[in-house]
Amino acid sequence: KKKMKNLTLVVMLLCYSFASSSGDTTIHTNNWAVLVCTSRFWFNYRHMANTLSLYRTVKRLGIPDERIILMLADDMACNSRNQYPAQVFNNENHQINLYGDNVEVDYRGYEVTVENFLRVLTGRHENAVPRSKRLLSDEGSHILLYMTGHGGDEFLKFQDAEELQSHDLADAVKQMKEKRRFKELLIMVDTCQAATLFNQLQSPGVLAIGSSLKGENSYSHHLDSDIGVSVVDRFTYYTLAFFERLNIYDNASLNRSYDPRQLMSTAYYRTDLYQPHLSEVPVTNFFGSVMETVHTDSAYHAFSNRISNSKIKSDTPFNQLSEQDVKEDLRNTHNQNDELKTEKQKCPYSEMRADLHEKLKKIENVDTMVNLSIAVMILVVMVSSSLL
Amino acid sequence: MTKDDGEMVEEQKKKPCRFWIWALSSVLFRLILISYAGNLNLSSRPEVSTPLTSIRRLAEGYWLKQASMSPYAGSMYHGSPLLLSLLGPLTVQRIKGQPSHLFCSLVFVIADILSAILLRGIGKKLQMAYGLNARLLGLLKSPRDKAGILPCGDIAALVYLWNPFTIVCCVGLSTSPIENLAVILALNGAVTRRVPLAAFGLVMATHLSLYPAILTIPVIFLLGYGLDAPPLKLFLQTRNVESGNRSSTSSASKQAKSKPTAQLPFLWKTVVHFVFWALVWSLCVMVLCRLSLSKHGGLEEMFKRTYGFILSIEDLSPNIGVFWYFFAEVFDFFRNFFLIVFHVNILFMLLPLAIRLKHRPCFLAFIYLAISSLLKSYPSVGDSALYLSLWALFVNELADMKFSFFLFCGYLGVSLLSPVMHNLWIWRGTGNANFYFGNAIGYACFQIVFVVESVSAMLNHDRALKKCNPNHQKVKN
Repeated sequence: KKKMKNLTLVVMLLCYSFASSSGDTTIHTNNWAVLVCTSRFWFNYRHMANTLSLYRTVKRLGIPDERIILMLADDMACNSRNQYPAQVFNNENHQINLYGDNVEVDYRGYEVTVENFLRVLTGRHENAVPRSKRLLSDEGSHILLYMTGHGGDEFLKFQDAEELQSHDLADAVKQMKEKRRFKELLIMVDTCQAATLFNQLQSPGVLAIGSSLKGENSYSHHLDSDIGVSVVDRFTYYTLAFFERLNIYDNASLNRSYDPRQLMSTAYYRTDLYQPHLSEVPVTNFFGSVMETVHTDSAYHAFSNRISNSKIKSDTPFNQLSEQDVKEDLRNTHNQNDELKTEKQKCPYSEMRADLHEKLKKIENVDTMVNLSIAVMILVVMVSSSLL
Repeated sequence: MTKDDGEMVEEQKKKPCRFWIWALSSVLFRLILISYAGNLNLSSRPEVSTPLTSIRRLAEGYWLKQASMSPYAGSMYHGSPLLLSLLGPLTVQRIKGQPSHLFCSLVFVIADILSAILLRGIGKKLQMAYGLNARLLGLLKSPRDKAGILPCGDIAALVYLWNPFTIVCCVGLSTSPIENLAVILALNGAVTRRVPLAAFGLVMATHLSLYPAILTIPVIFLLGYGLDAPPLKLFLQTRNVESGNRSSTSSASKQAKSKPTAQLPFLWKTVVHFVFWALVWSLCVMVLCRLSLSKHGGLEEMFKRTYGFILSIEDLSPNIGVFWYFFAEVFDFFRNFFLIVFHVNILFMLLPLAIRLKHRPCFLAFIYLAISSLLKSYPSVGDSALYLSLWALFVNELADMKFSFFLFCGYLGVSLLSPVMHNLWIWRGTGNANFYFGNAIGYACFQIVFVVESVSAMLNHDRALKKCNPNHQKVKN
């Protein structure tokens, strides 16, 4: 009996080790974004503008609203001090209105708390919380977590009332990893001493980018004299400058360097937990939307066209599938082809039917033919009933 | 006598004029309702449009077909592909300022008029047969003594045109006028002995909705035995009495006595002809359906989605029938069992009625239609419209029907309460499904009483004829 117990323990350990290392074998299926602005009050306009700019970028590059959780701690667009009601700008040239027509804010005002933030990350909500407020990611998700506001040494200030500490964040990320809520996680933080927030992170698959090191401040970019406050932070400004040049099909990599002189701080990358090299990682891994599109001629017949389209898949820049999956697809389609061929060889009668099918398909306007036939039928009825 | 003849001729001329006046005024009434009564929203009422007859589902099926998808995709349309190719293009065409589906409404008005004309034809034949039989039985003295016989053809046609149920179905854009036309076509063909027409009507009626298949029995009886007539025994008795009156020789009376066991002659040739034409038409219909559905699954798909849908009662939205309520709560384990029970309920009534009423095939057809519209999966008021007008064909025989006023009030009350209960349940929320279902049960009860009373009235009529006969002969003696 003891031997059996030992054996089962060994087997379980093996399974566990396989399971824990199996994160690499899952496919990247979707992208999520959690964008958090933690400051309130009118003079923190730039934090709101930061978050909304990231929101706009991420939507533009393809992540839909269903997979974005936007948390804004205060309302700048409809703030009584806003000279441009319902408009939020991130540049003094006022070229882009970040607020637009289709901004979906999931957590607003006083709902942006540390508790709600951690609940979003770990997925431990009350029953009544609607789906739009939940991070419904799975083991194939790449999540972008962007946080901006006021921070310090190993903490981030929420609403001027409470703090998110670095070990809170690390615990939440560890829970997410245990519950397989992400495949890869990119944390971007634009606050003062942002790099300290990542000190306690241990989970694999996490890439962290902070706007400043310990002891450094992150600065705002410029002041908009019209609105009266600074409208954007430097780190976010240069990040956006990079992204504005991209579209969904670009293959640019995440490996961009921030100029410390322009930032007036040192951008910090924590890459030890992230396996792939930064230069190999396209930005669309986190900032875009991964959709496996299979082109079909007609609806409801998706699987009949996989043979011709597996080649197309390998050419797109969205080739996030591992080699194994492509090989499996090709093997399946080969099997299908073989089955079809053997079926045809069995029945010569079916060849005749196949010929009939082809002929029928060639008749283009079936409907008019059917209508004509019905009219002919009715004529025959009338004639025959009057004669017979 | 000549004066009477003249008066009779004038009366006969007046009657067709009166009929056509009433018929055309009903058409006008329908056109007025179509143009101006858009607010009634009749096409969304469950009593009028069922999943099988709704024009919106047809339009949806047509749209799907135009988008090169199967018209049955999405489980909206469950009708015939031929109807789709005929009515589909009409649902799309619109005129500015006119109500939608105007052309479809016009098609249904034409279908109603054609049904009325065909009913009139059936009625004329039945009336002639009634008169002939009455004379043969010695109840009428001369061919012109038609004082008591009502013009059942005109009455039936006018009942069909002016029945509020038919008007509501026509204006509410349900495809039941076309199904009714097919059934009436089959009956007309059988009554006027036009075999290809009868076969065509029956095949089309079965193709459009499954239940008219049971009309094969009365149609074959009509073609084989002939029109409705009192039982053979009465004719033989009359002949016995007459032959007894003419001569009292024992040989003649022996011959007469040997005849009562004679069978009514069955014309096999006509029936075989009918079967042949039925096969021809069904082959044509199958080929056409195959053609239109060649890209979308073919005949199997069609049968699964049309007949399969009818038989398996997939759609449980409320209607004036009684099955939706039951199948909403039946356990899956028993579902198939109860489906079989309910459909066999129609089937097991066919044989006894056929045996009892084989001398009256047209009446048999009416009873079958009444039973099937009571027990079908998705009944609507269009089915009632059909059998009520067929009932009017037999006004001469069913003049003594009991509870006629009670049934009339019952039908009226049920049809007025049905929209009220529906409103209370769905829109106001002050009622629930039981209100509406109670109404449906009441309607079913009234229909059952109606069927039972009409059959008993017909059988009483036959018994009365039997009683009349020897008395009449005795008086003559």
